[in-house]
Amino acid sequence: MATWGRGVLIMASAKPSQMVCHECDLLIGVPLLEPGEKAFCPRCNFLLAANRRNAQDKIFAFAVAALLFLALANAFPFLGFSAQGQERTVTLLQCVAILITENFPSLAAIVFALIIAIPAIFLLGVIYFSSSLALSRRLPATEITLRWMLWLLPWSMAEIFLIGILVSFIKIVAMADVALGLSFWSYVFFSVCITVVVMHLDKRELWRGVRALPNE
Amino acid sequence: MSEQSAMALGLQGCPICTKVGPVECTSCEICGARLHAGWSNSIQRTWAWLITSVVLYLPANFLPIMYTRFLGKETENTILGGVVSLWTHGSYPIAIIIFVASVFVPLGKILVLGWLCLSIQLGSTFAVTQKTKLYRVTEFVGRWSMIDVFVVGILVALIQLGNVMSILPGMAALAFAAMVVTTMLAAIVFDPRLLWMSAEWDDLK
Repeated sequence: MATWGRGVLIMASAKPSQMVCHECDLLIGVPLLEPGEKAFCPRCNFLLAANRRNAQDKIFAFAVAALLFLALANAFPFLGFSAQGQERTVTLLQCVAILITENFPSLAAIVFALIIAIPAIFLLGVIYFSSSLALSRRLPATEITLRWMLWLLPWSMAEIFLIGILVSFIKIVAMADVALGLSFWSYVFFSVCITVVVMHLDKRELWRGVRALPNE
Repeated sequence: MSEQSAMALGLQGCPICTKVGPVECTSCEICGARLHAGWSNSIQRTWAWLITSVVLYLPANFLPIMYTRFLGKETENTILGGVVSLWTHGSYPIAIIIFVASVFVPLGKILVLGWLCLSIQLGSTFAVTQKTKLYRVTEFVGRWSMIDVFVVGILVALIQLGNVMSILPGMAALAFAAMVVTTMLAAIVFDPRLLWMSAEWDDLK
């Protein structure tokens, strides 16, 4: 395409340390960071890269912890509710199942995917590619797993679900008593752990690590 | 030229691995991810998802999102009705959160993406950097609109005391969830480099 002639010329001189700010599209050179360093966009202050200390270990540990908390969140009562002398306790999966019995199976599928299935797949994927990095061995499909997990990230909505629970409480609290079950706290910890995992994922460092793995 | 926009230089950053490469690449040379240029007919695809979103936006806002049954009496609740009742009960912060997440963000997202598509088709060169930034914001905030769907899910699961007090889901909940998904997809298939392309076309005239 002739219109892009100018771009192609500059492309030839694009340096490996260059990055593009995802927020404001500024092209900027970002040197490889030492552990503990962060790089912000000088124009819009967006976090461009962060090489956090012991990122690899923390990603692995918190991903495993998050997965365990998610399992626990499905094992105990999630929320309880009492009004007019009647009581009701539900589990996390019942929140999904009730939508099926109320004739909204597609809504149930969407909710189940966003709050349980996608976060679980994401965590399993994270554990898989961080095992690759920890073992310094290229496990099968490491790169595809990393790419898909980073792509999947916006569709994992644990933290949004937590805000949803908070809003629900405020709506109910005037007319009934709400009890928080063990599973609720597990889901909170799960949500915190998955956020810690996401915080420590530095795309550039991860790809550098994965590409440096020896071919077998 | 100390501050340069990547797209003005014909470059783009891979959203998956941050590798900088030429904008006409359809997939990233490092990680193989599909880049924005990888969507053929990006504008048509964005329009298709946007029109779907608008079609879903109407039932999402005008049909009841849930039914409240209290002592045998059933009332319908719409999204906007929920915001108003939170406001009148004095829960101002929550009313604002729900209004922003459920009404303002989806509508704003549809309008912004529609405007960006139109301005590309009209060959506008106005404020291209700001438009690119605006696009990134819509891409980022869209998922937070799901709050209301989760609220319905929780309330319906929890409040099931027969005729004494029950909450049932309404059609708007499904329409709304589908709309959030379609607006997220509209943002994914939109190709921001086209904003810069129409600017370049104008330079040639």
